[in-house]
Amino acid sequence: MTDLLDIIEWSCVECLNQNPSRNIGNALKQGYREDDGLYLESDTDEQLLLHIPFNQAVKLHSWAIKSVGNKGHAPRKVRLFINRPSLGFSEAADFPAVQEFELSEADLEGKPLPLKQVKFQSVNILSIFIEDNQKEEETTQVQKIVLYGSAGETMNVNEIKKVGEENS
Amino acid sequence: MEATVVCIDNSEWTRNGDYAPTRFQAQADAVNLLAGAKTEANPENTVGVLTMAGKSPRVLVTPTPDLGKILNSMQNLDIEGQANLSSAVQIAQLALKHRQNKNQRQRIVIFIGSPIAEDKEKLVKVAKKLKKNNVAVDVVAFGSEETNGEKLENFIAAVNSGDNSHLITVPAGTILSDMLFGSPIFQIDGGAGYGAAPGGDAAAGGDAFEFGVDPNMDPELAMALRVSMQEERARQEAATAAAAADGTAGEAGPSAAPAGDADKAAAAPAPVDEATPMDEDALLQQALAMSMQADSAAALEKESTSAAPSAVAPNAGSGQDAAMSDIEDEELRLALQMSMAEDAAEAAKESHGAVADVLNDTDYVNSLLGSLPGVDPNDPALQGALASLTKSTDSKEEDEKKEGDKGGK
Repeated sequence: MTDLLDIIEWSCVECLNQNPSRNIGNALKQGYREDDGLYLESDTDEQLLLHIPFNQAVKLHSWAIKSVGNKGHAPRKVRLFINRPSLGFSEAADFPAVQEFELSEADLEGKPLPLKQVKFQSVNILSIFIEDNQKEEETTQVQKIVLYGSAGETMNVNEIKKVGEENS
Repeated sequence: MEATVVCIDNSEWTRNGDYAPTRFQAQADAVNLLAGAKTEANPENTVGVLTMAGKSPRVLVTPTPDLGKILNSMQNLDIEGQANLSSAVQIAQLALKHRQNKNQRQRIVIFIGSPIAEDKEKLVKVAKKLKKNNVAVDVVAFGSEETNGEKLENFIAAVNSGDNSHLITVPAGTILSDMLFGSPIFQIDGGAGYGAAPGGDAAAGGDAFEFGVDPNMDPELAMALRVSMQEERARQEAATAAAAADGTAGEAGPSAAPAGDADKAAAAPAPVDEATPMDEDALLQQALAMSMQADSAAALEKESTSAAPSAVAPNAGSGQDAAMSDIEDEELRLALQMSMAEDAAEAAKESHGAVADVLNDTDYVNSLLGSLPGVDPNDPALQGALASLTKSTDSKEEDEKKEGDKGGK
């Protein structure tokens, strides 16, 4: 079980309804997410929809979300979807989710929350839909999101060696 | 990288001819231009087109990088009914949502040339939804400004996120596509390609660009043109100023360049030249005379002082300077100067027949010698030399002989 930070396809990461000055990078990127002063915030209303693609199919084991400080702005109801690249807000609210969470304050401190592993076996895109927040505030804030799991067997081109090189 | 859906207005209002040739045709031209600009800015940009009026909004072409498809879709469109803005925009948003390449950002460009039926609240609601889905919207309003103005401003204000959405109102009687060309709508990916800084609006005059090149399209080319223009102007100004200065200073003979004491010797032939018309012959003569002067000086120097470094250049002024300053023997210098004066006189004679025998004019020779540095015209030695010079034809011939010898070497 490792942090899947390295295999996120960053150029395709998308977050709908984010405030342009408090964007997804604040919650997902290394360094930024460790800083409690930087957070992802929603823009026009309290909902957020994150699409996180990976550069290979992964197995997800657990995830963690952190939102401290403004407790009222912390996410409450969260729905997770897999492999739905065109998911929009209306579908995210209506379609059956792969897994749903009702987050309590204890869940929001950044400790790993287990996932139903059987359902997250081959994930290319993880979509996180944050439906509302703890105290029905205008915006939702997220400081950190971490995904744990394991990547499949991959071939790293850099590790390819010439035949016979090891012998010599 | 961007996926764009262009919503065009094909309602009955677009038959109006207040934008030449008609609103609809002007709009079609602008759409073609915009599609070209978008697809050119990045090979992965896609553009789609949908019509807003008719029975229902209709997607003519889903976002594609193929400009031909886009242009083709614009042919043979029916003008009918009323534009249905809110549903058209939502359909456009769906088309964008299902774009193939998720790297592309989403943009809707709305052309609206008819009164908007929806009320302000509904438009703002649609705008909020677009903003929530990260869709940027550009609106081009042409016609019906008084009914649409406030609605569109509210719409854009609600959808705008990080200044990614713009409203362009084009007044009647102008060329629609020209007005759009310098606008932020043609600004793609923060100034690259057709990038126009916020100041781009200033250039919206269309065809009135300074060098026939849109500075927003190719800032480096425009800059190069401007700099080259400035340099050329500066050069011309300098040239005219120099010409004016020459005019006041009199006809500048080639040797009458910067006045320094030592140059005066070389300048000796110049006063004579001034009287002569500057035809080619005269110039040739003068040049010849000057080269003779230099050569004779060099020859003299070589023969008399082996110690003197021969820094004689073919050009008269500086060559003599160098030669003279190096010669320490007073008498030698005198002789040299006299020979030069003689040469000058000879040149004068050659170029100007009227001056028959300058050397006989002692006043002139005296004044000439007085103008030479370090020469006292009253020096007895000099006087003696002068006296001998009055029968100078022989010595001149001698000089010429020397010249010939030198040439022979």
